[in-house]
Amino acid sequence: MTQESSTALKTGQMFINFGPQHPSTHGVLRIALTVEGEVVVKADPDVGYLHRGIEKLFEARNYSQGLILTDRLDYVSAMPNNLAYCLAVERLAAVQPPLRAQYLRVMVSELTRIASHLVFFGTFSVDMGAFTPFLYAFREREMILDLFEMLCGGRLLYSYIRVGGVSADCPAGWEEKCGEFITFFKPRLKDYDTLLSFNPIFKDRTANVGRISAAQALSWGLSGPNLRASGPDYDVRKAEPYCVYDKLDFTVPTGKTGSCWDRYYCRMLEMGQSAEIVLQCLDALAGTACLPAGRELPPGEIMAKGVPKILKPPAGQAYAHIEASRGDLGFYAVSDGSPTPYRMHVRGPSFLNVAILQEILAGCKIADVVAVLGSFDIVLGEVDR
Amino acid sequence: MEETIQPKFSEPVFNRSHGRLLMPENRYWPTRMWKNPWSLPTYRRGAAVLAGLLSGAAGAAWLLGEIGPRVAPLYSMAEQYALSYGIPLFLVQTAWTVIKAAVLLAVPLVNALFAVWWERKISAHMQSRMGPMYVGRWHGALQTIADGIKLFLKEDLVPESADKIVHLLAPVAVIIPAILVFAPIPFGRELVYADLDIGTVYVFAVGGVSVMGIIMAGWASGNKFSLLGGLRSAAQLVSYELPRTFSVIPVIMLAGTLNLSAIAGLQAGYWGGVLPRWFIFYPVVGQVAFVVFLIASVAETNRIPFDIPEAESELVAGFNTEYSGMKFALFFLSEFAYVLLSCLLMAAFFFGGGEPPLPFLGFLPSWAWFLGKTLVLMFCFLWFRWTFPRFRVDRLMDFNWKFLLPVSLLNIAAAGVLIWFLDCWAAGLLGG
Amino acid sequence: MKNYILFVSEAFWNTLKGLWVTLKVLFLPAITVQYPTEKLVPYPRFRGMLAYDAEACIACGMCVRACPSKCIALAKAMPVPQQELCSSSGQPVSPEGKRVPKIEWYTIDYGRCNFCGLCEEACPTKTKALWHSLDFEAVFSTREEMTRRWKRGDDLWGTARRSADGQFSAVADQIHIQDVPVRK
Repeated sequence: MTQESSTALKTGQMFINFGPQHPSTHGVLRIALTVEGEVVVKADPDVGYLHRGIEKLFEARNYSQGLILTDRLDYVSAMPNNLAYCLAVERLAAVQPPLRAQYLRVMVSELTRIASHLVFFGTFSVDMGAFTPFLYAFREREMILDLFEMLCGGRLLYSYIRVGGVSADCPAGWEEKCGEFITFFKPRLKDYDTLLSFNPIFKDRTANVGRISAAQALSWGLSGPNLRASGPDYDVRKAEPYCVYDKLDFTVPTGKTGSCWDRYYCRMLEMGQSAEIVLQCLDALAGTACLPAGRELPPGEIMAKGVPKILKPPAGQAYAHIEASRGDLGFYAVSDGSPTPYRMHVRGPSFLNVAILQEILAGCKIADVVAVLGSFDIVLGEVDR
Repeated sequence: MEETIQPKFSEPVFNRSHGRLLMPENRYWPTRMWKNPWSLPTYRRGAAVLAGLLSGAAGAAWLLGEIGPRVAPLYSMAEQYALSYGIPLFLVQTAWTVIKAAVLLAVPLVNALFAVWWERKISAHMQSRMGPMYVGRWHGALQTIADGIKLFLKEDLVPESADKIVHLLAPVAVIIPAILVFAPIPFGRELVYADLDIGTVYVFAVGGVSVMGIIMAGWASGNKFSLLGGLRSAAQLVSYELPRTFSVIPVIMLAGTLNLSAIAGLQAGYWGGVLPRWFIFYPVVGQVAFVVFLIASVAETNRIPFDIPEAESELVAGFNTEYSGMKFALFFLSEFAYVLLSCLLMAAFFFGGGEPPLPFLGFLPSWAWFLGKTLVLMFCFLWFRWTFPRFRVDRLMDFNWKFLLPVSLLNIAAAGVLIWFLDCWAAGLLGG
Repeated sequence: MKNYILFVSEAFWNTLKGLWVTLKVLFLPAITVQYPTEKLVPYPRFRGMLAYDAEACIACGMCVRACPSKCIALAKAMPVPQQELCSSSGQPVSPEGKRVPKIEWYTIDYGRCNFCGLCEEACPTKTKALWHSLDFEAVFSTREEMTRRWKRGDDLWGTARRSADGQFSAVADQIHIQDVPVRK
């Protein structure tokens, strides 16, 4: 794309295909970059390389079969996907899951949030050129995957949260292992801070890079840590508490400047909060705390009564959204009374988060493209669906 | 619901019989492994093996003794032999030079064999991994040789749009200076290929030539990412030459010579019988010079946190994206050769070359001490690489021009003050 | 100037602290599993390769209906007299002596399997005829091999489709289910 020059030697713009096969696009995202030297003039994100037509596939499967498709949306954190889907279908069919199942749901969601943010921490550090934090993150994530394997048999795609409850109660010894993990994990957060968060090179690369103002973030429809890093403290867990979040005590960390470092550090703080929530849920499961006096958790009751195997919700529509690891994840279900949904729409947070790239990438350095892209923590399975 | 996921059978079964089964309750959770590592038999065994290796190496070095002083008599013996049989003396000289050159050529090769394996093991254990474990039976000891054979047998791909001749010449232009540069390095007492009076200047001059090859590689690949990598590399290497050279100037000022073995030799002896008279122990000046030299050396060798030219997450693999097989191996070889060179230089400039750190440790020969110090410094290189993230390219330049260079210049001034101070001290002007 | 020196020293200190973290881990034991010489045994609930028992199956087709990716297919055998069943399987068909339907053939296409566990949950027999084993070492050399077929009287590992002619034959070594034990 060198500009024609007849007389003098001029510097021209260069067109670079950043992806779909590039080590740091976290999947198959393509960004068409126009650069002048090392400075990006124009950036054009191009999505759709991983499109599998999942929303259409829902229409050919009944409600319990559709569950396994949700695992494949945001495959780095599958539990919240299951949860959002089940909440939408439960709202459609007016099913109320038992309390113990709700605690288990919250617990696995928060564990998944930790696992997902660990993946973010690892991949972001690899984008920044540090490889060791990546393996530290995966070391800790492996323990969470072990917990999930023990709980539901899956290590990546769980299908654990079912319409009306969860598929299984926690096996013997699971709670102790969970507590063991949390006590091991909390000091590791300090290690991460020392190793990466406050490393001068890392701060130099990420602070003041890719800044998003609060107004910008709201107008582009960002959600999750990406939004909170810019200032607004919108969190579905607080704004519209689902499951038992209104009974749990946690804070929503926010950033100030909306730079890459803020987005990164928001997630690091969120991991600490998630660990606290898991501990509270463990207490609640043991029937010791968090419950109003006089109420006890019915042991073993994890499925709502009277949910048929082939669910036929009455004709109507329902929307449920939750705070997934990457932001506000919503499922919009339309039923016509048949066993299969008439329409199922997914509001994937990654898809909306990736849209703002075209605005903030212009003017960055090529090295910043990687930092900005990495700081958004997108999963292409959810972007393209 | 509950009974559907009960275990079907208690005994786990896999199709292949080999392998030790690791039961769920014995999974390697760091919570259990790290609480008391000494209770693990494998950990105790590993520590014992390491201690054995170290003491074995030290014992072998003690048995071998000094090599340098034995080399010169060997040459005069050959001369005597030639004279007595009427063989022309220049033949003996030529043969001697060829042998020495062959030994010198082996340095980067052997270094790469060892350093790659060492880097893998060190990095692996820093990341709670094991690293290579299969090739060569014992902890993947022969892994590098296997990799070398693989690279040797690989197809040599030249891209369609590449400038074929320059593409071929680039690795050659990189590796030749990387071998030549070892000529004036004193590997031990009297163990040096060419005892140049201007050894320091020679090393920096020849080492600087390699940047040409990297630019050639970036240009000739016909790939935008490679070109960017090559350009970045040129800018980076040329800039970091400056603080690197300037940081050595205090050492040269204090030593009063450019000869590397003379610089190393001057650091013999101890202050108060305990603290070695190494240049790094000169107050402030020595430490600052060392830190600047270390940072600039890491930058010169294109390693994290300064691996901008081959920044994987941005430029795929930078200037060596389009290289495969032996050509890639040559780039790899030269990278490790320069790492070794930097460590050797640091050991010679700042850590007293072959001088033992404490007087009573003098029973080990000088080459063993030199090698040991080099390996410790090389460990620092690996340590940095596997701890830090990467600089951004413009911040890299800022860091160099706005921080390292002024600091190294200030350090030269401070060295002048220190020398004046020491002179006064020696002349008895201070404190009566 | 004072701020600058503070900044530089703080940066230096933070860098050194980072080095300390990696150095600590260097002297701690590694936690990786050396895979082919050490093999993780999954937890009991693990959803590994599907295993199928033709003897226990009653050919009800619940698994076929439950499967979201349609990887299971079966054909019901014609009802057979009780005497014949007894002689073929060597055991009574049911406690009440009722005639129990059996399968004619049963195939699983592992290439399409989701490992979701819905089929196992749907299986109505007391000891599951279809279940997720703990086996995670699935190796197939061709796509055809991924289809496995069982006929009545077949043992647990069934027959695999050959890629050469598409015919079903006994599975070669290295095929995964062949060592799945009989349930207790």
